[in-house]
Amino acid sequence: MGVMIEPFVDIVPSFFGTLAQGPLTLTIFLHTVIVLPMIWIYKQEKARLEQEGN
Amino acid sequence: MAKKSVWSDNRFWQRTAAWITGFASVLLIWLTFDTSGQIVMGNDADLQNGVTKRVPGPTVINYKITYEMDAKRKHEVPVIGEKEMFFGKDDWNEEEAAALLHLGKLASQTKNCMNCHTLLGNGAYYAPDLTKAWLDPAWQETGPMQAMTGKSTKEEAMAEFLQNPSKYPTHARMMPNLGITADEAKGLVAFLKHMSSIDTNGFPRNFGKIQGAVNGK
Amino acid sequence: MANSYLTSESKKLATWYFTFAAIIFGAQLLFGLVAAIQYVESSFLFEVLDFSVARMLHINALVVWMVFAMFGSVYWLLPDETGIETVGIGLGKLLFWIFAAAIVVVVLVYLFIQVGPANETSIWFIHEGREYIEAPRWADYGITVVALGFVANLYMTGMKGKQSGVVTVLMADMIAFAGLYLTGMFYTDNITIDQFWWWWVIHLWVEATWEVFVGSIAAYGLITMIGAHRKVVEMWLWIEVTMLFGSGILGIGHHYFWIGTPEYWWEIGALFSALEPLPLVAMFIHVLYDWGKMQGEQDAQGKEMSVITNKPAFTWFVLNAFGNFLGAGIWGFFHTLPQVNLYTHGTQFTSAHGHLAFFGAYATILVGMMYIGVQGKNGIKILNNTTSTIFATSMIVGGVLGMTVALTVAGYSDVIISRAQMGATWEGYFSAQTTTWLLQGMYWRLIMGAVTFIGFLFLVKDLLTIGKAANHVR
Repeated sequence: MGVMIEPFVDIVPSFFGTLAQGPLTLTIFLHTVIVLPMIWIYKQEKARLEQEGN
Repeated sequence: MAKKSVWSDNRFWQRTAAWITGFASVLLIWLTFDTSGQIVMGNDADLQNGVTKRVPGPTVINYKITYEMDAKRKHEVPVIGEKEMFFGKDDWNEEEAAALLHLGKLASQTKNCMNCHTLLGNGAYYAPDLTKAWLDPAWQETGPMQAMTGKSTKEEAMAEFLQNPSKYPTHARMMPNLGITADEAKGLVAFLKHMSSIDTNGFPRNFGKIQGAVNGK
Repeated sequence: MANSYLTSESKKLATWYFTFAAIIFGAQLLFGLVAAIQYVESSFLFEVLDFSVARMLHINALVVWMVFAMFGSVYWLLPDETGIETVGIGLGKLLFWIFAAAIVVVVLVYLFIQVGPANETSIWFIHEGREYIEAPRWADYGITVVALGFVANLYMTGMKGKQSGVVTVLMADMIAFAGLYLTGMFYTDNITIDQFWWWWVIHLWVEATWEVFVGSIAAYGLITMIGAHRKVVEMWLWIEVTMLFGSGILGIGHHYFWIGTPEYWWEIGALFSALEPLPLVAMFIHVLYDWGKMQGEQDAQGKEMSVITNKPAFTWFVLNAFGNFLGAGIWGFFHTLPQVNLYTHGTQFTSAHGHLAFFGAYATILVGMMYIGVQGKNGIKILNNTTSTIFATSMIVGGVLGMTVALTVAGYSDVIISRAQMGATWEGYFSAQTTTWLLQGMYWRLIMGAVTFIGFLFLVKDLLTIGKAANHVR
């Protein structure tokens, strides 16, 4: 386990409790899954703008 | 003509707004299910078998509750100990205890406690926080509040105070008479005892542990 | 309502909403003053109109006047944004009277019955005793019907007329706003579950849906008052929605630190809510940037005059942009991280934040909308300030800022003594209450509250008479 991954601290194990392994793991995970799909939206819109530009 | 940037395109931002709002909402709903499972009230069997619940069942009023440092979590948590008399008995069954808690919770709302006090830290700031009021040193055997009411147990002292608050003023700022009946007072004390057993992740810190005040003068 | 220049029924209805909102705003300030006096002199109205009752009226009036002014704002802008008269205006007028009558009944019951026995009847007919949403259960259903009627009108109009970005955002936002109220309409013996859902209403209103509403209104105001370009304004609006909902929805976690909910909310609440000030910074920059841009365009054409067509309203909109950032953003961030909130939770510090946030984020822009209503009703092209405008604005803003500072100072001793030093006990609480910092803080709060109230009287005078002043362009 080491220092980087902590044993479970919350009193009742749960899915989100399990993701909370040490400082900020859960919240960074949630931020990432929320923001990452913006890349896909960006690419789609870029393609659309390029098409319209022609 | 220079290419238009996606970053200044309305449609891009509209779709982003829709995605982020939608997905954040889905996550919140998912988290709500996860949390709901953890905060449902426990039952009498949990208490007898020593199963720790964040919100114990109503029969927790049959037990002694303390607020102790948890070695793993590094903050205080409520600890449910041995049996303890509550209004003369320590064998409140599930139905009786639930009925008492129900009455107390109803009273806490209908008497508008939350617009002077805080409960779990939420409410108004005109009167003390009630989260761990059951564990307050002032109400213990040696405490000034219990002595003032002339009662021999904490629960009776609290119930007496709730029925006649302006008879026992502790400060210029007094609690008004809210027409709380003897039954309602009993219910309210059960509600307070139950609330003190809820695992609030160590809020408030050091409750009743530190004596002596600093004076801001 | 004589001599009205308004031809749109929707706008006439909006002025009813604004009028009732202003009256309730006055009630909010009056009961706030009663509560403020009680902090200084606790025997004041003791067992006549106790703090709990005054405070309940203070915060309920706050919510109600804002909801009224929000409904009014939507009815005001709908004809402009959609290009048609609002659909279902008769229903809208009927619902206005039902809503207003219900509020009067609720207030009278609060005032004269105050508390009831511990049973469901009290919950149904007196109040529910849950901060901010105390309204009794019967009124909950009434409010739901009124809100659904309002949302129906918005949808019917939005779908029939031109559907601008502003209207699209409002449609999505207002249905969430109405729907969320439903999550606060139940009773449970489990106080943790009770507060969990209670925050769904309170937080998802004031830190998500209401903020998006403000973004929409600000967008409308920029287009109508300084002629900002719709495409730019609406792009900003979508960015604001992205950031407001992206941070605000899961930012609810900062209310789940200490109410019995799992520990993982510490990190969710901390990081998401820490981002909540970002959209507020964006809104502030947006308003000032557009203002500078439009004025610059006009200056370049050699016209030596302001681009603003409604000075008092625009002043309030700018105050909103700054006040939202300062009150909700800065004062909110002060205590949003769990390591800080552990000690500030449930203290006068919270109260300081509450005052500046509600005022900065909502009261300001809604007062601005009232001035827009006055301008339209009197058929004025450019509405200028009067002496009363200046007095009203500076006294209200100064008063609320003063109250906030006073409560923040009072909060120091509440936090340091009652929470940190003495562990939140009865003794700890009263030790904090009797310090010089808290006592003086409460005196200053009362003085500044009185200043705010005098400012409010100027505001009422101004709203009633500014239309007749001679210094406008008609």
